[in-house]
Amino acid sequence: MTAQRDGDAGGGAAVELQGVTVGFVSRRVLTGVTLRVPRGGRLGIIGPAAGGKSVLLKVIAGLLRPDAGAVRVLGHDLAAAREREVAAVRRRVGMLFQNYALFDFLSVGDNVAFPLVHGGAPPEGIEARVAARLRGVGLAGSERKLPSELSGGMKKRVGIARATVARPELALYDEPTAGLDPVTTSKIYDLLRADQAETGGTCVVVSSDVAAVAGFADTIAMLHDGRVRWVGPAAALFDADDPLVRSFARGEEREGAAVLARAVAIEPPGAGVWS
Amino acid sequence: MALVPRRSLTSLGARTLDLVDAVTDLVRVAAGTVSGAVFTYWRGTRPKGEIARQMHAIGNRSLLFVMVTLGFVGMVMVYQTCLLTTQVVDGRGQVGAQFARLLVLDVGPSLTAMMLATRVGAGIAAEIGSMKVTEQIDALRMSAVTPVDYLIVPRFFACVLMTVVLSIFGMAASWAAGGLTGYYSFQINPRTFFDLSMVAPAHVVLGMTKAVAYGAAIPIVAGWCGLRARGSSEGVGAATTAAVIGSSFAVIVLDFIISAIGLIFWGAGL
Amino acid sequence: MILQRTLTTLGARSMAVARDAGGVFVLLLEVLRSLVPPSMDGRELMRNLYKMGYRSVPIVVLTALFVGALMVVQLAAFVKQFGATALVGWGTGYAVFREVGPILIGLMFSGRVGANNTAELATMTVTDQIDGLQALAIDPIRYLVVPRVLAMIVCLVALTVIGDLVALIGAMAMSQVVLDIHPLTLWYSLVDNLSTADFLHGVYKSMVFGAAIALSSCYFGLTVKGGAVGVGRAVNAAVVGAAVSICFLDFLMTYLTA
Ligand SMILES: Nc1ncnc2c1ncn2[C@@H]1O[C@H](COP(=O)(O)OP(=O)(O)OP(=O)(O)O)[C@@H](O)[C@H]1O
Ligand SMILES: [Mg+2]
Repeated sequence: MTAQRDGDAGGGAAVELQGVTVGFVSRRVLTGVTLRVPRGGRLGIIGPAAGGKSVLLKVIAGLLRPDAGAVRVLGHDLAAAREREVAAVRRRVGMLFQNYALFDFLSVGDNVAFPLVHGGAPPEGIEARVAARLRGVGLAGSERKLPSELSGGMKKRVGIARATVARPELALYDEPTAGLDPVTTSKIYDLLRADQAETGGTCVVVSSDVAAVAGFADTIAMLHDGRVRWVGPAAALFDADDPLVRSFARGEEREGAAVLARAVAIEPPGAGVWS
Repeated sequence: MALVPRRSLTSLGARTLDLVDAVTDLVRVAAGTVSGAVFTYWRGTRPKGEIARQMHAIGNRSLLFVMVTLGFVGMVMVYQTCLLTTQVVDGRGQVGAQFARLLVLDVGPSLTAMMLATRVGAGIAAEIGSMKVTEQIDALRMSAVTPVDYLIVPRFFACVLMTVVLSIFGMAASWAAGGLTGYYSFQINPRTFFDLSMVAPAHVVLGMTKAVAYGAAIPIVAGWCGLRARGSSEGVGAATTAAVIGSSFAVIVLDFIISAIGLIFWGAGL
Repeated sequence: MILQRTLTTLGARSMAVARDAGGVFVLLLEVLRSLVPPSMDGRELMRNLYKMGYRSVPIVVLTALFVGALMVVQLAAFVKQFGATALVGWGTGYAVFREVGPILIGLMFSGRVGANNTAELATMTVTDQIDGLQALAIDPIRYLVVPRVLAMIVCLVALTVIGDLVALIGAMAMSQVVLDIHPLTLWYSLVDNLSTADFLHGVYKSMVFGAAIALSSCYFGLTVKGGAVGVGRAVNAAVVGAAVSICFLDFLMTYLTA
């Protein structure tokens, strides 16, 4: 353990990104992203669709290596580390994927137990921890169900349970409330808040529900066209100096709509098979 | 420079890079599978009964398919050979023994593997590919689980074993169907037909070596294609297609290589 | 207990096979009916010919080269034993033209083109594009299936002919290397002993195989259910169906035309 934490002394940031740039085949998705999340902090990331939010989260999780820039997570330099070291860091990070990514060949219980089983937790305690975690997300007793039998909101909550069951030092949530009603949304943020109060960990939330995430996070960053357009305290978001940020946050027409219009001009579906 | 449009140059460059990337990936998956099978798979927490489940998925569900197709091929081979041998002089007595030799040495394992390349290769790529596009592979990695160890290695063991077993079943089906054809269409006495005198130990060794090599190649190639899937359903479809063609081609190339090595090794003894 | 379960599974599977075989047959009838006033989207046909034929040439050429060389390697032990150098061309040609060529190239074609086509149609189906066509009063059989079936038949025949020739080149090269047989010796042995009928036998087969691959791949593509997983499963079923049909039809044609 001490060997793993040796780098932590520097500043106490959980996540430190410095000029992170990521590109796929022909296009650049992230350009020079610089962000810092202190230990115990709560960062919310907002921005129009296809702005690179999910990609940024994957970079922080060590699932994607940036083409340029430095990524320090929990004291380890992920951009330069060998895969084995990155994997060791990932064990201390929990992630909820945008489309849940539940293992469809495993039951709900086995899904939630997965990080424990493969994280070297003592086998005796696993069952109880899984049951407690499922109770925490309001799905007590659904261990035996298969993911395909669940609704979207239930899958999301199973995903949250799986992401947090191993008490990660850093939790990453990609759209924890997309497609959920306001009541469930506030329940989920309550849950995230309670989790964080309990573990003292760090949280990064990507969400397009600007109001809800601004109520949860202490800092908000807006990604636009793969760049950080704005970072500041959540309270200042709705009165930001940048008109584009302000109108996006308030959901106003004009510039906000223009931003969105540019973002949805993505390639048509199915272009791949026709070639 | 002026004669070649710049776009085609950059696209050529991009395609070369893609190819290099793909080949690097293949080498990585192959090395990871082999080292996983020898070392790491036995170290970590592995799913209980996974190899048995894969053996069932690969073996049981392909048995009928392999036996039916190999049966038909056996009938055709005997039929064609008998047609030929009865044209000039009556060589029907030799057909069975030669057929058995060819079946053990090449046709049995190779054709079984061609069939498995479509059936099993497509299945593995579809499974792993849909896990890839639904981010389940990334979710595995979040728990520090290596996708190659977790997904490909069990299929590798199961497929090697099942290719050998199914080859034997396929040969049996082919041999029996060939014998029936010989008897009903060309009046070859089954006792003359079912003659193993031409099958030497070297043939068995070579044939089984082929089966093992094919069984190893199919999950590696198919898993590689699955892990490279991108996008959504069309990405899975493309990965599946690539897996079928890639593993079939691997079977043909391996057949050639191993046959050539056998020829160098044993020469006229084969 | 076990017997009952086995019988149930067997029964269920035979039902499924019968349903699929019937579905393919119905599709064949629908395609034939659509051909009666021969109206056809020519652009769609050309696009498919290019995509299915032209772009499959590399893989077919590679496969055929190896197959031709492989045949010689298989024959080599025999030839060395009996010194029957004059028979190499004849043996290779007979096997490649009549059986090995059409079957292996058919299987590769099914993997490359049939599977791709299933994936394409299946993706269209799961994303409701087929319903979209019907809403525009466009007949999916006439618009999507007929051009593909025709294109696949034409392409497979052409590719088989190319493959046959390339396999001969592979065989010539290989027999020069391992058996020290001059390519011309092999060529004369081939033309002296084989007739055009042997060659045409394979061409007819490839025609039938092309139709079988096309119908199987279109059928499974259009009847897919269930998202990304469904697409993979449809591709799987299509290539398996094509492989079984190839082996069965090969037997039937050998038997009938002998
Ligand atoms: N593996 C990949 N290969 C190629 N392109 C990718 C890949 N992953 C993401 N992209 C591209 O990167 C861009 C940003 O994607 P990302 O998923 O990060 O967007 P997002 O901000 O999360 O959008 P949304 O709000 O819709 O989830 C998209 O245009 C996407 O097509
Ligand atoms: Mg996203």
